[in-house]
Amino acid sequence: MNLTINEVAKCLNLPLSTLERWIRQGRIPIYKNDKGCVFKKSALEKWAVTHNLSFSFPKEGVERQSNSEMENLLPAIKRGGILYDVMGDDVKTALRSAVENIPFLPEDKKDELYETLIERENLTSTGIGKGIAIPHPRAPLSNVIENSAIITCFLEKPVNFGAVDDKPVFVMFILLSTSTKIHLHLLSRLAFCMRDNSFVEFLKTSPCAEAFFAKIADFEKQLDKAKT
Amino acid sequence: MGILKSWRHPAGWAIFRLDDRLFLIFVAAIVGICSGIAAVVLNRSLVAIFEWIGQFRHYWWSFVLPAIGAALSSLFLEKIVKEGAGHGVPEVIYSVSRYGGLLRLRSSFSRLISSCLTIGSGGSAGPEAPVVMSGASIGSNIAKFFSLNDRQRVTLVGCGAAGAISSIFNAPIAGMVFAIEVIIGEWKAINIVPIAIASVAGTEVSRMLQGNRIAFSHRQFNIDLIDIFACLGLAVVAAAASILLTRTLRFMSGISSRFSSPLWLRAAAGGCVVGIIGIFLPIVLGEGYHPVKTMIEGNFSQGLAIVALAALAKIVATSMTLGWGGSGGIFAPCLVIGSLTGLAYHRGLVLLWPSVSWVNEGCFALLGMAGLVSGILQAPLTGIFLIVEITGGYNVILPLIVVSSISTSLCHYVEPASFYLKDLVEHGQLLRPGTDARVLADLSVFELLEKDCITVKQNMLLRDFINIVKNSHRNYFPVEDEKTGYFLGMIHLDDIRPYLFNSGMYDVVFLGQIMNTEVEVVNPDDELSEILRKMDANHLFSMPVVSNNKFAGMISKATLLDQYRKELMVQTCD
Amino acid sequence: MEARLFHIFRNTPLGRETLLQSIYFCKKIKASPVIYIPKFTKFLMYFDNDVAQIDLDDSYLTLPDTALRHATELVEQAELKPSFIKPKHYTASTLPDIPTNFDFMCCPRSISDMSSKIGLGYIGPRVRRIVKSAGFPVLIAGPIYKKWRSIAVFFGGSANALNALKLGIRISRESGIPLEVFTQLEKKSEKHYKKIVKDENLEEEIERHVNKWHFFEKGRFEDNLYEVPHDALVILGAYGHGIIRDILFGSKMEKLQSTISNNLLIVGPKYAANT
Repeated sequence: MNLTINEVAKCLNLPLSTLERWIRQGRIPIYKNDKGCVFKKSALEKWAVTHNLSFSFPKEGVERQSNSEMENLLPAIKRGGILYDVMGDDVKTALRSAVENIPFLPEDKKDELYETLIERENLTSTGIGKGIAIPHPRAPLSNVIENSAIITCFLEKPVNFGAVDDKPVFVMFILLSTSTKIHLHLLSRLAFCMRDNSFVEFLKTSPCAEAFFAKIADFEKQLDKAKT
Repeated sequence: MGILKSWRHPAGWAIFRLDDRLFLIFVAAIVGICSGIAAVVLNRSLVAIFEWIGQFRHYWWSFVLPAIGAALSSLFLEKIVKEGAGHGVPEVIYSVSRYGGLLRLRSSFSRLISSCLTIGSGGSAGPEAPVVMSGASIGSNIAKFFSLNDRQRVTLVGCGAAGAISSIFNAPIAGMVFAIEVIIGEWKAINIVPIAIASVAGTEVSRMLQGNRIAFSHRQFNIDLIDIFACLGLAVVAAAASILLTRTLRFMSGISSRFSSPLWLRAAAGGCVVGIIGIFLPIVLGEGYHPVKTMIEGNFSQGLAIVALAALAKIVATSMTLGWGGSGGIFAPCLVIGSLTGLAYHRGLVLLWPSVSWVNEGCFALLGMAGLVSGILQAPLTGIFLIVEITGGYNVILPLIVVSSISTSLCHYVEPASFYLKDLVEHGQLLRPGTDARVLADLSVFELLEKDCITVKQNMLLRDFINIVKNSHRNYFPVEDEKTGYFLGMIHLDDIRPYLFNSGMYDVVFLGQIMNTEVEVVNPDDELSEILRKMDANHLFSMPVVSNNKFAGMISKATLLDQYRKELMVQTCD
Repeated sequence: MEARLFHIFRNTPLGRETLLQSIYFCKKIKASPVIYIPKFTKFLMYFDNDVAQIDLDDSYLTLPDTALRHATELVEQAELKPSFIKPKHYTASTLPDIPTNFDFMCCPRSISDMSSKIGLGYIGPRVRRIVKSAGFPVLIAGPIYKKWRSIAVFFGGSANALNALKLGIRISRESGIPLEVFTQLEKKSEKHYKKIVKDENLEEEIERHVNKWHFFEKGRFEDNLYEVPHDALVILGAYGHGIIRDILFGSKMEKLQSTISNNLLIVGPKYAANT
C-alpha cells in the first residue's frame, strides 16, 4: 500500500518540513520514480519499528468528540424528573424520601445511592446558599445509571442543611453523573443558573414542569452565547 | 527520452531495486576509479614539473621559482576558478557536516592545478589534501548526477577521498581509515563497505598505471625492547614538532593576513623565502619524498646538527608556503619533518649512549613520520596504517602504535582540535553525525513551530480575553496590533492572575496594559543552539517566534525534546 | 508566513532600479524583501541537490559605506520593513553561504559580468545557474524600473509551463492584476492545451482569473510577441519539452528573452508550484 507524503507525516506525527528533510537526507526508506517519491506502508512500518518511532494512523480526535457532545443541563433535568413536596425534617430524612421517590432507579440501588449521598454530605454540606442544595455522590455512578440525571426535588418545608449562608434549603438538585467530567460540566451550568436571584425566586414558587424546563432552556441559550 | 531519463536514475534499474546499498557500492567503484585517476595525474604532473624546473635549480636566481609558482597558483585560484586559498579538507568536512557533502564541480580540478604549480615549483607542501578535495568533489558530483540523497552523497564523498589517498600512496587501508576517521567521522557498515570498495578501486588504478610499488621500502628492522622504550621519547619529540608546526603555521597566516597587499603578492613573498632556504637546504623544496626515501633506507649522511636544522627549516618553509597563500596539503611535509625528527632523535640517542646497539636509524625516521602524522591529524589509526602501508613495514607495528597513540594524545592535550578541524571547531561547525550539535543544526525553527496559539489584539478588554482563555489550552497569548498585525508583546496566564477574580477590572483593563513587551523573541532564521542558549540564560521554556515583525508561532522545549529525540533516533540507529 | 523575496543589492543606479522593481513586486504580492549587501564578490547557495557558487560583478562592492543606507531608504520609502541577511556560515573565510529558503529572487539579467553586457538576448551564466537549480522562481528585472499593469503567462503545455501558469494565477490573485495567457500553436489545436489545463483541475481557476487566452496560430513566435503588452509581467517556464537542459534554456525562452524587454518571472525546473 502506498501513502502520500502528507499521510506519512501524520502517521509519524511530524511536521511536513521535517519529513521532506529526512527524504532529502536519506533517512527514511522511499522509492523514487519518474513522478517523485513513493512511500510503501510496509517498508515504513518496518523502518519505524527498528528506529523506535511510532507509526500509526491518527485516530480522529476521540477526546474532542466526547467533549463537544457533552450533554447539556436540560436533557439531564428532564431525565431526572421533578419531585414535588418531598417530605423530611432534616438532611437525612429529606434525602431518604427523595431517593425513595426516584422513579427510574432500581430498588436495590437506592440504598447505595443514599449511603453515598450521606457520605458526601458528612464531608461538607452541599447547600450552596440561597436555600438551594445540590446533593451528589463523590464518585461518579457509572455502574448504577446509564446516563447522567438531575433530580429536582422541591421540599415540603425548608430544611436546615448546614448551608454556607445558614439559610434553610427549600429545593434540592440531586446530581447523578456518569463521569467526573460531566459532573463538573453540569455543576458549573447549574451554578450559573443559581447565581440569578430571579431564578431563585422563581424556584420558590415550585413551578410546574413546563415553565421550569423553559426557564432552564433560556439559561442554556445564554450560556452558549457567552461561550461563542 | 525515456532511456535518457532512466540512465540518470540507475537506482531504478531492476538489479539495484533489490537493495540501494548494492547501487551505492557500484557507484563507489566508479568514484574510486575517477579519484584514483585524478591522484595519478597529479602525481605524474608533479614529478614532470619538478624535474623540468630542476634544470634551472643551479642558477642564482632559482630562489624566485617557488615565488612564481606560488603567485601563479594563488592567481589561478583567486581569479580563474574564484576559490579561496587553503588546502580544502576543512571545506570537505564542513560540507559533509552541514550540507550533505555538496561540493562544487570546479573543486574537482582547481586544487589539482594550483597545488601542481605550488609544489612543482618547489613550494613546501603536499599533494594529498588537494587530491582529497578533488576526489571528494568527484564523488559529490557523481552523486549529484544520479540525484542521490544526502546520506549516500556523504558516503560517496568519503569514497572519493579514500580512493584518492589509496591511489596516491598505494595504500588502500590508509585511504579507507582516513576517509572514515577524518572526513566522515562515523564508523558504520553502511559507510565502510562502499568506501572499502572505492579504496580498492583507487589502489588498483594506481597499480595499473604506475606499477605496484611501495613508496618507501626499507630493510628488515630488528626491534628490541629497549627501542620500544626509546619510542616513548620519540613520541614526545614528535608531538613537540607537530605542535611547533601547527603554531608556526598559524603564526605565519596571522602575519600574512595583516598585509593588505593582494594575495598573490603575499604568496610570492612566501615562495621567495622558501626559495632562499632551499638554496642552503634543498631538502625543504617540493613535497620531499625523495629525501624521506633515503632517510628510511638509512643512507642519509648528514650529522645531528644539520638534520635538526633541516627539520626546523622544513617547518618554517611549510608554514611560509601554506600560511602565505600557497596551495597544498600538510601530509607530505609532515612525513619529511617526521623522518627528520626521527633521524635527529636517533642521532641524539647515539650521542648520549654510544654503547647501546640501537636499531637502524631508518626505523626511527619511520616512527617519526608516524608520530607527526598522528600528531597533526590527531587521527592515530590513519597514522598507523599509512606508515605501515607506505613502508611495507609490518614488523615495526608495535613501536608504531606506541608512538602514534602517545603523540596523538600529547598533541590533543595542547591543541584540542587537529589541523584539519581547527577552523571548523573554532566556528562551531564540526557537526559529527549523532552529536548534539548535529541534531540541533539539522532541526530548524520551522519544524518546531507550534501554531496553536491564539493571538489577541492590544485593544481587547480583559473580559473578552478571559473568555478566550477559557477556550484555549495554551498559557501564552501573543498580542498584535490591530492595524499592522505587528507583534507587540506576550501575555502569560500568570500576568492576568491578579485580575482574574476581580470582575471590576474586566471592563477597565485593556490587554495593551497588561502585556509584557520586553519578551525575548526568536527569529525564524536563528540557529537552535543559539535559541537554546537564550532560553537557558533567561530561564524560559518557550519563546515566541517573530518573523518580519509578525508573530509566527511558539517554540518550546517540550516540542523540541520530542523532535530532538526522533531526530537522534533516526540519525543514530540503522 | 508571508513570502520572501531575495535581493542582492548593488549600490549603483542600476542596482537602484532593480531594487525598486523588487520592492514593487513585493508590494503587489504582499511579500517582504530580504536584502543581501555583499561583502565578498562570491557566495555559495546550497540547494537541495546542488550547490552553486555565485560570482558577482565587482560593482556589487561599490561604496560599502552608503549601501546599507541607500537600500534602507528605498525600502522604507515604500513603507516596507527592510530586512538584511548577514551570512551565518562560511564555507571558506571569504565564501559565505546564503540560505536558499526564499519564495522569489530578483536580479538583473547578469550578475557576474560587467553590467555593460546587459541587453536583450543575454542572460548571464550565474543567473542561468540559479534558475536551473533554485526551488524558487527568479524575477529578471529590466534595466529600468517599470510598473506592470497586466500579467502575461506563456503556456506551452509542459510541466514547467503548468507551474508557470499556476504561479501566474497566484500572483494575479494576490495582486488583483489581470492575467492573460499566450500560447503559440504548433501542430496542435487549442483543444489540446485546454485539455492539459482540465486534467490539472485548473479550469475553474482559469475561468476566474484569466482575462483572455491568446492563441498564435500563424507567424513566427518572435513576431507574435508584439501582442504582449509592454507593461506586462511575463511569466514562463525556463524549459519546455526539450531534453537537453544544461547550457541553454528552452528554445521559446531563449527567443522570448532576446525579443522582449519586459520584466520576466522565470520558473525553473526545480520549482514546485503550490496554489
